[in-house]
Amino acid sequence: MNPLRPSAALLLFALLAAACGAQTIVEGRVALPKPRAAPVMNKRYGIVTEGGILSTYPPTAVVYLAGVFPRPASLPVRQMAQKDLAFFPMLLPVQVGTRVEFPNFDDTYHNIFSYSPAKRFDLGRYLSDERPIPSEVFDVPGLVTLHCEIHEHMRALILVLDTPYFVMTDTDGRYLLSGLPAGKYVLKAWLDSRTTLERPVELIGNSTLEADFP
Amino acid sequence: MSLPPEPMPPGFARFRARLLVAMMLVVTAVTGAGLWFAQRSAAQDAAREFQREFQDELASLHAVHEERDALLAERGRSLARRPRLVAALEDNALDLLYPSAADELADVMERRPGSAQESAAYGLNARFYRFLDGKGAVIPPVEAKNVGELGPADEARLALRAVPDEPQTGYLWRRLRSGAETVDEVIAMPIVSTEANEAIAAIVLGLKPVEPGGGRAAAIRSGIWTGGRLFLPSLGTPPPAALAEAVARAVGAPEAGEGGFETRVAGTPHLLFWKRLNPGSLYPAAYEVSLYPLAGLTARRIQLAWQFAGAGALLLLAAFGASRIIAVRLSEPVEKLAVDSEEDRARRRRAEASLELTSQELQKSARFSADASHQLKTPLAVLRAGLEELLAREALSAEAREEVSALMHQTFRLTCIIEDLLLLSRMDAGRLQIEFGPVNLTPLVEAWLDDLSARPDAAGVAVESDLPPVVSVEGEERYTRIILENLLENALKYNRPGGRIRIAAAGDGGWTVLSVGNTGSPIPTSSQEHIFERFHRGAVGENIPGYGLGLNLARELARLHRGELRLARSGGDWTEFELRFRSDPAGVAR
Repeated sequence: MNPLRPSAALLLFALLAAACGAQTIVEGRVALPKPRAAPVMNKRYGIVTEGGILSTYPPTAVVYLAGVFPRPASLPVRQMAQKDLAFFPMLLPVQVGTRVEFPNFDDTYHNIFSYSPAKRFDLGRYLSDERPIPSEVFDVPGLVTLHCEIHEHMRALILVLDTPYFVMTDTDGRYLLSGLPAGKYVLKAWLDSRTTLERPVELIGNSTLEADFP
Repeated sequence: MSLPPEPMPPGFARFRARLLVAMMLVVTAVTGAGLWFAQRSAAQDAAREFQREFQDELASLHAVHEERDALLAERGRSLARRPRLVAALEDNALDLLYPSAADELADVMERRPGSAQESAAYGLNARFYRFLDGKGAVIPPVEAKNVGELGPADEARLALRAVPDEPQTGYLWRRLRSGAETVDEVIAMPIVSTEANEAIAAIVLGLKPVEPGGGRAAAIRSGIWTGGRLFLPSLGTPPPAALAEAVARAVGAPEAGEGGFETRVAGTPHLLFWKRLNPGSLYPAAYEVSLYPLAGLTARRIQLAWQFAGAGALLLLAAFGASRIIAVRLSEPVEKLAVDSEEDRARRRRAEASLELTSQELQKSARFSADASHQLKTPLAVLRAGLEELLAREALSAEAREEVSALMHQTFRLTCIIEDLLLLSRMDAGRLQIEFGPVNLTPLVEAWLDDLSARPDAAGVAVESDLPPVVSVEGEERYTRIILENLLENALKYNRPGGRIRIAAAGDGGWTVLSVGNTGSPIPTSSQEHIFERFHRGAVGENIPGYGLGLNLARELARLHRGELRLARSGGDWTEFELRFRSDPAGVAR
């Protein structure tokens, strides 16, 4: 018998369990709308408006697990940067209560503001050397549209979600959510400012669930 | 000008008066027609001038509108680029829409009087503004204080069926809180998203209508007709119902864009022009209405009429004077002509009368000659027959026989005279026609010479005949013979004893000239011009047989032959006649 130390053996097990899918996982594919050829002038912007509907370009989706989850004491600070007269990233999903910083990496002024019902704010004008970096806490779930008061073409979206479990799909629509709690929930997929798909899921501990939209 | 001193004949005075009246009538008619046309054209020009003035004002008004619309369009475009405005619209933050636009539209609103000049320079002097959402509905302002107050009903009338792609002009009649009426010019300017390139909203500006102003702005009253109402503050509020009805009727006509008519306002005539201000607009139709008092035009017409009348009177006076001068000038030669022709007529009448008389006398005498000749021939024949019978009696003594023989001879003479008279009377009546043919004169002369040798009265007279064998002339032989015999008999009769006769012929161009000369006492100069008259006999020839017809007959016959007989000379011991005939061309050639 290998004189292994029980503590080490336990650790190994835990590691193995983690590596071999001893977690609760949802994965699948969201059927994204065909990326239509948007106007050339919009190509680099990332967020496009079509009949009042905001969506990303190329299309991506945010998949999240809706439910009641305990709120963590603190959340990591996220960043929405302004670079080359554009926002990066174009779409930022955050959990409710997250502080988002808006660093300016350009050589010019920006003035980030939002009139969205989920969060109205106006950061005023600032340069890249502004300290502390202007930031806002997003404590109401919903979609927040970001504008720059100086550069009318700049547009970005912050999707404030009341859940810690969310992920962005790749441009093919594939996603993987891991570390989920077992139980019955509703799985949702945000496609654009007007479209959010959903389906009920029952998560079984340490197993992988395939869930496609639609 | 000078009038002829002698009194004019009455007919001529009448002619002159008529000429003058006719000329005056023509001048009056021409002047009247000219004045009428000139005045009518002047009146039409005045009306056209008013119309042009109206059109010019409208054109300048439209130019102002265009400038302002361009300005507003630029404003609309720049508004569409304002991120706050777009954000407010896109993110449905309508409570933030008007505050977001406040800065952008700060200069649009009507300022206090002191600073109004600045915004007026831009052509924007808005009384209010409102936004329309993407469906054309009015977005109510949170606070009306900065965007111009507007009652809810008036505000609702700013809405459109949809957001327009082009600026839309309308006119909004409303009653202010003070009770006064006003008309606002309303412009809906689309706010076009630069991203989607579509109108996401519109801004509606309410402006004080641009006042048309012109050279006679004080006299012209302008107003606007819209929504079944006539807004013409200078005529009082509300304006006369009859006028409003007339305008409503005019603009109500289908497809009517503009027009004009004459009307009475407060008892005085006016010209009214109207034109659609906002053709093709989504807002209700509105028309610019301009009233021009015709008092000025009427005064001008009267003034023109007086001027024309004065000018016309002067013109007429001058024309009448000229007419009189011309009439007199024209009538002078006519008068002379009239007098001359009257004299001519009288003279002609006299000549015609005498000619008629002569002709009648001639006819009478010719008829008498013919009748007399015929009447004489019969008793003469009876006489001769009786004498012949007497001669035939054997019991007649030699003495008686000689006596009867002499009487016989006298009957022959009588026959000759009667023959000649008959011939003459035929000639006088124009009934003798010469049948022209070639006649050889030589044998005729020779026949007479043969007879002569047997005649006792020819004793002692020598005859020199120098005629070629053929002297051919144009004529009729029996009459040619009579001419020759008369001439030769004459030469014999008036010869002296032991005298001579010379006969010669010569050519003279187309003529053949036969001359017959004889010795003897010449014809006295005083008688020479009478020798060819009928029944004339030379004074010397009292004892010479004859009856004064020979030379006359010969000449008349010669002339009928288209020839001539004349006395060549008569003097000393020699008298010579010259007889001309036309040469027979064939005879000369022979």
